Amino acid sequence: MLSYPTVRTSLIFLAIALVGLLFADIAITANNPWRDLGNFFLGVLTPNFFSSEGLLTALLRTVAFAFVGVTVGGICGFLLALVYRFLPVRIFCAFIRAIHELFWALIFLQFFGFHPLTGVLAIAIPYSGIFAKVYSEILEEADPEPGRLLPPGTGTITAFLYTKIPDCWIQLRTYTAYRLECGLRSSAILGFVGLPTLGFYLETSFSQGMYSDAGAMLILFYVLIATIPLWVKPKLLPVYILGAPFFLGDGFPIVWGNVERFFTQDIVPSPLRDGEGLAGLIPWLNELMVEQALPGIWNTVILTQIALVATGILTLLAFPLISNHFGGPIRRTSGHVFLVIARSTPEYILAYILLQLWGPSMLPAVVALALHNGGIIGHLIGRQTNTIRLRSDAPQGFNRYSWELVPRVYRSFLAFLFYRWEIIMRETAILGILGIYTLGFYVDSAIQSIRFDQAMVLILITAMLNIGVDILGRYIRRKLALQTMPTC
Amino acid sequence: MAGFDLSGLTASFGGERVIGPLTLKVKEGDQVALVGKSGAGKSTLIRLIHQRVDGQSSLVPQDLGLVNALPVFHNVFMGQLDKHSTWYNTVTLVRPFKQDRKQVLELLDALRMSEKLWIPTASLSGGQRQRVAIARALYRNAPVLLADEPISALDGPMAHHVMQLLRDRFKTSVIALHDVEMAMKYCNRIVGIQNGQVALDEPTDQLAAADIMSLY
Amino acid sequence: MTHNLIRKLLIIGLCSLFAATASAQTFIFTAIPDEDETKLVERFRGIADYLSEELDADVKYIPVKSYAAAVSAFRNNQVQLAWFGGLSGVQARSLVPGSQAIAQGTEDQAFYVYFIAHESTGLDRADSLPQEVRGKTFTFGSKGSTSGRLIPEYHIRETFGEAPEDVFSRVGYSGNHTRTLRLVESGTYEVGAMNFAVWEKELENENIDTDAVKVIWKTPGFPNYQWSIRGDVDENYGEGFTDRVREALLSLDDPELLESFPRSAFIPASNDDYEPIRKVAKEIGIID
Repeated sequence: MLSYPTVRTSLIFLAIALVGLLFADIAITANNPWRDLGNFFLGVLTPNFFSSEGLLTALLRTVAFAFVGVTVGGICGFLLALVYRFLPVRIFCAFIRAIHELFWALIFLQFFGFHPLTGVLAIAIPYSGIFAKVYSEILEEADPEPGRLLPPGTGTITAFLYTKIPDCWIQLRTYTAYRLECGLRSSAILGFVGLPTLGFYLETSFSQGMYSDAGAMLILFYVLIATIPLWVKPKLLPVYILGAPFFLGDGFPIVWGNVERFFTQDIVPSPLRDGEGLAGLIPWLNELMVEQALPGIWNTVILTQIALVATGILTLLAFPLISNHFGGPIRRTSGHVFLVIARSTPEYILAYILLQLWGPSMLPAVVALALHNGGIIGHLIGRQTNTIRLRSDAPQGFNRYSWELVPRVYRSFLAFLFYRWEIIMRETAILGILGIYTLGFYVDSAIQSIRFDQAMVLILITAMLNIGVDILGRYIRRKLALQTMPTC
Repeated sequence: MAGFDLSGLTASFGGERVIGPLTLKVKEGDQVALVGKSGAGKSTLIRLIHQRVDGQSSLVPQDLGLVNALPVFHNVFMGQLDKHSTWYNTVTLVRPFKQDRKQVLELLDALRMSEKLWIPTASLSGGQRQRVAIARALYRNAPVLLADEPISALDGPMAHHVMQLLRDRFKTSVIALHDVEMAMKYCNRIVGIQNGQVALDEPTDQLAAADIMSLY
Repeated sequence: MTHNLIRKLLIIGLCSLFAATASAQTFIFTAIPDEDETKLVERFRGIADYLSEELDADVKYIPVKSYAAAVSAFRNNQVQLAWFGGLSGVQARSLVPGSQAIAQGTEDQAFYVYFIAHESTGLDRADSLPQEVRGKTFTFGSKGSTSGRLIPEYHIRETFGEAPEDVFSRVGYSGNHTRTLRLVESGTYEVGAMNFAVWEKELENENIDTDAVKVIWKTPGFPNYQWSIRGDVDENYGEGFTDRVREALLSLDDPELLESFPRSAFIPASNDDYEPIRKVAKEIGIID
């Protein structure tokens, strides 16, 4: 077994995570975590749908921001996909998608303030980068033969419209629809930094222990996501897309002077701004690195590695829940419900809830990341096992699991896990805003003390770290010859 | 350009020469059947000719090259995308113009599948798909037809009908065929390929079926 | 049908655009989110109504999610008036030339921080910050708070000569004073620092389990909360508007509204009153 590269890679990552545990801050610090958890579940079971007059508006805004953000991101991403073969475009896209929606929102909040544009751009910009990458991959897969058969002299655009688009249409549409679901999650969490979406009210009720109100919001959010196939119909899409911009709320008028000030003053490193020149810049950078960036990077990497392995373990435990090869319909149905909830809840919200209940440490973050990502991969792997036909005398129970199924799905399991490595890291960084000492914590602290120059440097470092992990993840997937489809 | 004179045709696959070097001269009015064992290099030769004449030909490749998601009409219309502006083509993608609809419909009528005009090609049978590719070549209306086994998926009467149509519509053609009887019936020149070389090149009326059989 | 719907949406959208321009001269204020939001919304909607009436203008309150967001909104002229803490006020006014502190609560001249501890620590009320807090877990309020961060950090550094991270085994930022109280009350953190006024109000409303949490030290007084107004308000809202706002705030005597802060009255304030806060903030490196 140890001669298998996949097994060896898994063991190396397991070992890294175990060493990471020695350095990680894993604890339940709340005095009575189970009582709080119980209260929370009680709240979910006794939801109060009439708590706040703003609840329906918040849902509407959540949908509106998702639609506008994903539409703008989709259009820009598509245009970028057309020129994706150029290296500068690829680097640009990798960069904009390496910065989390919440970081983008925090940046735009500083000069657009609570204008709808802040929320729209926070979703549209990283999504453009992701769309560009995936769209270009899809377009590359198109059958090249019809293009070769076209009469010479056919225009590029015509050729593209006739031979590429129709061939990829289904995949483009499926992926875009899938992204819309991701967009709803992104839109919801933007509320945590003050935009008028669901997260805004969720944070309010949660922090005050109004679990029935919070429960109602979560239930509405699940219903919203679970019913997407019912209310997102191709024929209604134009209505949604044209209508959504009018439901973003008005916010405040943009003052363009603020935008200029942000770029020409706020983000200029303070030694330069104060005229100390390069001589002042180096100690400034040095201090920033030693006191904030390095501890942030260290914690982010440790937490990411632990969460990655935890995600893997949870996936392997969870996929039998929905696999046809185990259990009866009742167990599978409850398995589906569990996985739908796990993957529909944004990690940020899960982490927020668990932090409230268990107190601050890395533990809530690890559990949140593992639940969300394990829910996604477990669902995909479980579905994959349903296409496997076992011989009729195949072993039962645990032997069936360990001898028949796991070996068959292990490669795609690893492929998904390494695909999500970068996503887990991006989320880990952002969870710092909740008070875990990852890079997000230092970004948030810099913003809280109105030091946008420091915040920008830290965000850039976060982006570089994500790009690095993305490259490493792709390298490992190529080395192990693992293939996957994109998830978000 | 109605005929062509190509020399030094070669092709290699995986470091091994599969075609040539060979010379092929086709005059206007030549209706050439390429015959030979499968794997002899007929398809490769068709492709080579297609490249060498800079695409100035109506091509029916063996794998058809249809855009499966598009309806029959658009797959056929693709034969003349170079004749219109981008704007015209884009509008056609959404809503075809009347005169184009009429022309394409006439072609499909001749191929006895006019009722399939708006059906996506993905949901057609193999024989129907083959006829769509043929319709596209007819619509393209280039001076030379290059076809690679264009009737492999058609039944007897339809195969004869299509060969008849191709002979009538294209004065000059090179058609790879494995059916010797068809080749003798619809082409006026037979070129036999063996091991990547021209092993036989005679007008049809000077050949008997037995002469060709030696290639197989 | 679809077209009809689109047309309707367009009309609604255009109307809302006009509505936005029409209300562009709305006088908007915010406040740092130092307590539970429900309480803040209730309190400041009351203030908005009061000011609307007194100023004969459209006055609106918007809630924000962080201290920095309040400062940014003030700086970006998306709000013209704000109820800041000592530190956020100093930060905001240094970013907006001409802005001034116009009123503070009577209690804000000498404000206090309570260090509170969970009963499991066995700590008792003392005259100075007890040495025994070393090694305990500790929570501040918000990162940008005066009574939840600046002043406690100042005293921790004074007492121990070390950064809070080195004094305590774990340092957190609860977000606001109510949450600090709840987290220490439940034992999630052993020690915390919070605004004394919030403590006293919660105590009065019998919202504190005094068996679980108690005050262990009260800091010396320092200037805190104040109403700050932008310098360009007169220009945009009419000559003398600043004075009218100040006047309205100083003459606020609705006991219920005052109680919600809780302050006994508002008195005049000036930028200079907050010089001590600026010095302390600079000393511990929270501002440059």
